[in-house]
Amino acid sequence: MTTFIDYVLGGLGSGAIIALMALALVLIWRSTRVVNFAQVGQAMFTTFIALSIQTWTGSWYIALIGALAAGAVLGVIVQYLVLRPVKRNDTSGAIIATFGVLIALQAAAGMIWPGGSQAFPQPFNNSGIEFAGRVWPISIYDFVVIGITALLVLGLTLLFTKTSLGLSMRAAAFNPEVAKLSGVRVSRVLTFGWALAGSVGAVAGILVAPVSTISPNSFDILLVYAFTVAVIGGLDSLIGAISIGVFTGLIISLVSGYSDSGNAPVVALLLLALNLILKPEGIFSHHKARSV
Amino acid sequence: MLTITDLSVNYGAVQALSNVSIEVPKGEVTAVIGANGAGKSTLMRTLSGLVKPGSGSATVGDVTITGRKPEDIVRLGVSLVPEGRSTIPELTVEENLRLGGLWRDKAARNSTHAQVFDLFPVLAQRRKMRADTLSGGERQQLAIGRALMSDPRVLLLDEPSLGLAPLIVTQILELVSRLASESDLAVLLVEQNAVTALRVATTGVVLNLGKVVMVGSGAEIAADEQLRHAYLGY
Repeated sequence: MTTFIDYVLGGLGSGAIIALMALALVLIWRSTRVVNFAQVGQAMFTTFIALSIQTWTGSWYIALIGALAAGAVLGVIVQYLVLRPVKRNDTSGAIIATFGVLIALQAAAGMIWPGGSQAFPQPFNNSGIEFAGRVWPISIYDFVVIGITALLVLGLTLLFTKTSLGLSMRAAAFNPEVAKLSGVRVSRVLTFGWALAGSVGAVAGILVAPVSTISPNSFDILLVYAFTVAVIGGLDSLIGAISIGVFTGLIISLVSGYSDSGNAPVVALLLLALNLILKPEGIFSHHKARSV
Repeated sequence: MLTITDLSVNYGAVQALSNVSIEVPKGEVTAVIGANGAGKSTLMRTLSGLVKPGSGSATVGDVTITGRKPEDIVRLGVSLVPEGRSTIPELTVEENLRLGGLWRDKAARNSTHAQVFDLFPVLAQRRKMRADTLSGGERQQLAIGRALMSDPRVLLLDEPSLGLAPLIVTQILELVSRLASESDLAVLLVEQNAVTALRVATTGVVLNLGKVVMVGSGAEIAADEQLRHAYLGY
């Protein structure tokens, strides 16, 4: 039982990071019906930028702000340069284009920051906390990760439910034509959504980097998990992305603990397959059915 | 108030509207009637900016609205209630209404909001409920309420009778007609259901295959048996 609790605690931090990346995918899907496979590439790129900022300034906080800003800018660039020209009633073309962006970003990062995997300095103590006579598998850093995730989720919830901008975003996502007729500047709202998703993904990147390493391909596995989570959650549900994200973090930790960490991605994909067979529209979706 | 001059719209090789000219005065309901495919919805979509015209123009007062984006046209005082499901089912009644006036300043928005609740008391009762829990008639009231939230000078109504019981249609149209005369609103109503539309309209315009074939008072058109047989099918 103690081992079980240890594995659960050990999975919370990574669950929060997966949830954030899934949230970024959901934000784009809701407004454009495109799965942005470039999201992890954008996050990788902004994390490299954050690493450079951290190296120059020595401050993790400035690096975090830099990542947020770079994430927003990169999100807007991707939308303008790739999605706007391609979209025009061609959703599958747009999805394939996001793969192209992913590959381009990985190639560019390899040229700008050569030398393979790099370590991202630990901003906070990442060793287990000692409490009640034993060391627990959860660190100060895990609490920081969970705290930042919770703050972001709270902020996004307030944005969507309490502000005019949030209402415009939801209206533009559900029915762009009625939104336009109501006076919402839909294309601006969409651009803001890409910036927002870029920032959320960038936070996931800078949070995961210290516990893994950073290289052009190091976030690929995060894409697998985040995509799985977003689909199981229903693709358009923020609550779905968060709850399934944390749940998946726990499953990964339990599978890695009781068997082998190499089995975790397989289990995640099995969950995805099971979900697509039993409830293809996702657990938290607003929509009744989605063809797969 | 709304002046449509020689408006033509093409979808590829198909001419959906050709040289349509209609005057929509304020304080009155002007009804455009005609069979399916006459170009009625195209006219509404062009006036609201969703479709770009080939030639011709539409002006409100001195301002040309054709060629502008829908987001700008609504700011110039022209508001469309589109055909069919024009509320957003995932949003609450309150949110659907707020959406209609988000671009306006808060005081103006709130005062219109109160007026819309006076006009449609049922919406005030259901304000917290999702729009998809409303009945068809309530949803049409919500759609009109959303359009009114921009405080328009010209209200465009596309087939409001679609899928509604005759009694509800009559109630809604009578309310619209009262609204037109009380608040000096210019209403352009497009309907397939000619009998109902001509009952509330001061002027009727018969549209056939994209062309205006007759303009007259509601009573005149209703009385012209030949015209009814030829274009309206009753």
